[in-house]
Amino acid sequence: MTQTPATIDFRRNTQQVPLQMPAAVQKATAKFLGTRAAVVDALGNEYWQVLRQAGHDIRLHAITYIDHYLAQAEQAVTRAGGQVHWARDAEEARRILLDIAARHRVKLAVKGKSMATEEIGLNHALQAAGIRVLETDLGEYIVQLKGVGPAHIVVPAFHLSKEEIAALFRDKLGVDAPAEAEKLTQIARMKLREEFLAAEMGISGGNFLVAETGTIVTVTNEGNGRMCTTVPPVHVAVVGIDKVVPDWESLTVLLKLLARSATGQKLSCYTQFISGPPRSEAETGPREMHLVLLDNGRTRILQTPECRETLLCIRCGACLNICPVYNNVGGYAYGYPISGPTGVIFASQILGPKLAGTLPFASTLCGACNDICPVKIPITRILLHLRRRVVEGDESEPATAPVSLRLGAWVGALALGSTGLYRLGSKLLRRLQAPFVSGGWMADLPAPLNRWTMSRPFPAFAADFRQWWRGRYGKARPE
Amino acid sequence: MNRAREDILGKLQAAYGRRPGAPAASIPPAARIAPRRPAGPEAELAQLLTEIERLSGVTRRVANQEALRAAFAELVRAEGVKRATCWTTPDLEAWGVAATLQALGVEIVPAHADKQRVASCELGVTGVDAALPETGTLVLTSSPERPRVASLLPRVHLALLRPAVLRPDLHQVFAETREAGYTVLISGPSRTADIELTLTLGVHGPKSLYVWVME
Amino acid sequence: MAIKAQLFITCLAEQFFPDVLKRMVGLLERLGVQVGFPEEQTCCGQPFFNSGYRSQARDLAVKWLKVFGRTDGFIVSPSGSCVDMVHHHFPQLFPPGSPKHRRAVDAAARTFEFTQFLVHQLKVTDVGARFPHKVAYHASCHLLRGLSAREEPKALLQAVEGLELVPLPGEETCCGFGGSFSVIYPEVSKAMMEAKVRAIESTGAEVVAAGDAGCIMNIAGGLQKAGSPVRAMHLIEILTAGKGAS
Repeated sequence: MTQTPATIDFRRNTQQVPLQMPAAVQKATAKFLGTRAAVVDALGNEYWQVLRQAGHDIRLHAITYIDHYLAQAEQAVTRAGGQVHWARDAEEARRILLDIAARHRVKLAVKGKSMATEEIGLNHALQAAGIRVLETDLGEYIVQLKGVGPAHIVVPAFHLSKEEIAALFRDKLGVDAPAEAEKLTQIARMKLREEFLAAEMGISGGNFLVAETGTIVTVTNEGNGRMCTTVPPVHVAVVGIDKVVPDWESLTVLLKLLARSATGQKLSCYTQFISGPPRSEAETGPREMHLVLLDNGRTRILQTPECRETLLCIRCGACLNICPVYNNVGGYAYGYPISGPTGVIFASQILGPKLAGTLPFASTLCGACNDICPVKIPITRILLHLRRRVVEGDESEPATAPVSLRLGAWVGALALGSTGLYRLGSKLLRRLQAPFVSGGWMADLPAPLNRWTMSRPFPAFAADFRQWWRGRYGKARPE
Repeated sequence: MNRAREDILGKLQAAYGRRPGAPAASIPPAARIAPRRPAGPEAELAQLLTEIERLSGVTRRVANQEALRAAFAELVRAEGVKRATCWTTPDLEAWGVAATLQALGVEIVPAHADKQRVASCELGVTGVDAALPETGTLVLTSSPERPRVASLLPRVHLALLRPAVLRPDLHQVFAETREAGYTVLISGPSRTADIELTLTLGVHGPKSLYVWVME
Repeated sequence: MAIKAQLFITCLAEQFFPDVLKRMVGLLERLGVQVGFPEEQTCCGQPFFNSGYRSQARDLAVKWLKVFGRTDGFIVSPSGSCVDMVHHHFPQLFPPGSPKHRRAVDAAARTFEFTQFLVHQLKVTDVGARFPHKVAYHASCHLLRGLSAREEPKALLQAVEGLELVPLPGEETCCGFGGSFSVIYPEVSKAMMEAKVRAIESTGAEVVAAGDAGCIMNIAGGLQKAGSPVRAMHLIEILTAGKGAS
């Protein structure tokens, strides 16, 4: 991923989606939706809805009293022997990590899957300082070798065939790599094992941060998360401030929702709970543990009450899997490490309307995401607010949409708001369309309506209901 | 005075119109769920073993010391174990794990030895601090006698479990592990579906998980 | 006392599917409803609201509330998305406690999408129609999720004599219309529309039915472009077919 985010042109990105991408996406999402449906069915829909509401309520409570819980978490981590750092933005977070790395003369860092570290462009910064950074989640390892970002938050390399991955391993690792998932996984295991054992620093994210005891929770399947947080002598966790939860009991709800929603597992393979570094010298594990609390725009999100629930997200990826837009374009079109519906509402606000103004419109508002979200984020409601922010501006941002569009809307509403103008317009369109109409359809229209007709014909204007009503009931039919 | 900390907390307090240090409201009851109600002990144990096997773990019930020795002999042979690293809890001492392995010609590598040597072990043997039948989950904490690496680095993880450690739900487990410095919930051998969505076992964590019930 | 219903015809149905509106009037009257048509109505403002132009949406909502506020009885519409606008978004446009907010809430309480009106207010599922064809049903998003109308359209279709309702793979997947989405991101809209057309063709159905003009415009156009013999029809056209037709 590049260091400085460029303006995201969603339309241009969707025009550049590789031919095989939609089919690959749909294969992956269909699988996860299927396994998710099976475990949800096993629990029963009634109980699942109870869980969703509880998940929503506990996350909302957490981000409503976020300052209290962050202070509590900081105290607890410190008491447990960890070191807490606060980062207002990506630059500050990178500097904190570079300082820790410098102090420990880190030459090699191993990293677990963490959206927060992608968000701050950490790898690039470490590499620029001469530190080798290795992604250890298999999918992230693969896309890192390829030099691209993740295409899905749970399965970053789903879109690559095993032949492509084998070629990549041959090319970048210099090994004889057959195109078989099992053998490729073993190669990665062997290569990364050497790195885990040699690394001076392990970097992780955190799925949750429990305020009560200052506990970082990581949810993984491969064991790389455990390796990064256990084997190297220094462990640094980068955790968004929105990940805080009040207590362990909160996790009884959230852990029942997360894996089921993400992959259809009841629990992921490894759920780790880390409260500071090991308590005694005699324990195996890192000698030093650091927690970097990352803001990077989350405080600004919380300033808008209608948008606060954006931060309820537990990063399960279910909304990506169900989203018909995501299913047709894949993750890269969104131009941000987190994609799909949750990525849209998060990135739009973290990056702001100047950079990400096209994103809130990357949705038909179908609402499937609202229904599948395990913590009931009202995604389409937030999208509508963010669209308004782009075209009209609000308390936190001025309007960024072109004046011509806003003028067009103003004129359009004026015409539609006057019964006389509306009916006149309707009659005019019926007359003006004549040269374009054939068999009730208009196959080719001038811009901007050619954006419709490039894919399908437009129906002919045919409004005659009012005349029919008058004819049937006369002028003054009582209402 | 940490500038960044004050800035962030200040912005959060401003967003909610709160004074610094204001307490949180109590957690709404709807945010809580009741723990799962357990079936009888035999049914719970049976469910635990079924779930572990669904996750490609291999389970066995061990009736006595003789059976344990035979089981170890089989495992060492089947998995080609030359080196092992173990927990040193009273349970594992009482079961004679290290001694039994040594008698089978397996070298015991202490968990605090050089990382490379520990990583070269084929087998890691641990106890189990709690277990969850619903999800086939083993709960392991960490301490000087419970090295984390024993269930992580070797290719084979053998977990020896007493039926008394079964718990109905996460609530009960958390009540016991909340104050521990480290806990890991293990549900099956390590796995990934990152390559073409094909499930493969044994990524970075153990490739094989054996769970023996010590009756 | 006859049930009174005001027609909320919607701008899309008025411009492109006037036949549907005429049939709706006939069917309601046959079911004993006294139908009114407030002639000042234009558009509920949904396209503006969905595109972020809340001020313009507010202006149009004010007009809509004025036009329908003068009437009494139910307000019935052949469009799930427009009714969803009135139910869920009109109240959001005005400060809670204000007179306009009160009027929006009152209006929402008596506004119904057509199938929900038939099934829940008129307590009717068999309208005496006959349509001996294989029909697939596309669940329009706002009708399905905004108004929770999962069963009503299908109940009405299943009661039609001779009609064979065939399951549509991805029945609940969006067709790609999304209002302005279809012209803001035309490539994605096209892909979604084509997927819907392929799914419809895979069922062997002769007809695909839906309850929203936007979906029908999109799907009918797609079927036309694909040279498919499958017809896209509004539910009301099917419910007024055959022996029950006026």
